[in-house]
Amino acid sequence: MIQPQTYLNVADNSGAKKPMCIRILKASNRKYANIGNVIVAVVKEAVSNMPLRKSEIVRAVVVRTCKELKRDNGMIIQFDDNAAVVINQEGNPKGTRVFGPVARESRESNFTKIVSLAPEILQIIINLLFQIENTPINNWND
Amino acid sequence: MRLEKCWFCSSTVYPGHGIMFVRNDAKVFRFCRSKCHKNFKMKRNPRKVKWTKSYRKLHGKELTQDATFEFERKRNRPERYDRNVVENTLKAMKKIEEVRVQREAKFWEKRMKGKKSKERKEAAVELGQAIHLVKAPLAMQAEPSLTLPKVPEKMKVKVSVSKQDESQPMQG
Repeated sequence: MIQPQTYLNVADNSGAKKPMCIRILKASNRKYANIGNVIVAVVKEAVSNMPLRKSEIVRAVVVRTCKELKRDNGMIIQFDDNAAVVINQEGNPKGTRVFGPVARESRESNFTKIVSLAPEILQIIINLLFQIENTPINNWND
Repeated sequence: MRLEKCWFCSSTVYPGHGIMFVRNDAKVFRFCRSKCHKNFKMKRNPRKVKWTKSYRKLHGKELTQDATFEFERKRNRPERYDRNVVENTLKAMKKIEEVRVQREAKFWEKRMKGKKSKERKEAAVELGQAIHLVKAPLAMQAEPSLTLPKVPEKMKVKVSVSKQDESQPMQG
């Protein structure tokens, strides 16, 4: 549940430290952004010597939320923090690395690059989730 | 469909139940219900909470090492489907469950074996120490303060009826 004025963490090395949500994109009637949604954010804190500066306005994809995420198969997932990955207008990440676990929902909303950049541990998570969902029901002996 | 184990109480988490918490270091915690999730949030150690499986196993309340537990294990590689294997497995599952229940019952019996005699012994000791508090029934009868007052079998209760009530006709 990300709404304007929400401070997020950054899950990449783009240089932003604390973006604050100021707008949810493609949401005329929606109040909150969830995992996989694009938001417009203003950089409230930035790492020095990086291209992103304080008070710069950027786009970002939400990759983790404290609010639980419900999947169609009944799984409910909750993360530790609200985090986003800074992207450009084309939807590619501005940083070169992604930190921490990333939900698979961001792949579904055409952010494959973010998912592919995610660290190894997280790849396991994604694979694991994928595996669980794709395990056939008749595998009783497993 | 995969049945996971609850991180806190080690019970089975069925699909659509409970919650999955992913920590920032990508460790996954699964909880069967909000009770377990709340206890986790309170930073309780499941080994110190009495109702969890881990406590009971740690304190020797339940069977810990047994061959029947070996079958239920997490395997990350999906097995190739084979009709015969599935059939045999389904048969075996029932049998294994039977064996497990029997062994657990036996374990419980063993654990409770000396309990009755121990309780009796303790009661005898307590009785010996506090025998002065107990009075003989005859002594109780002699003491009027300890017995209930005797009630005569037939007691006549006088009911005074005022003249006004009599004169009024019965209603209803």
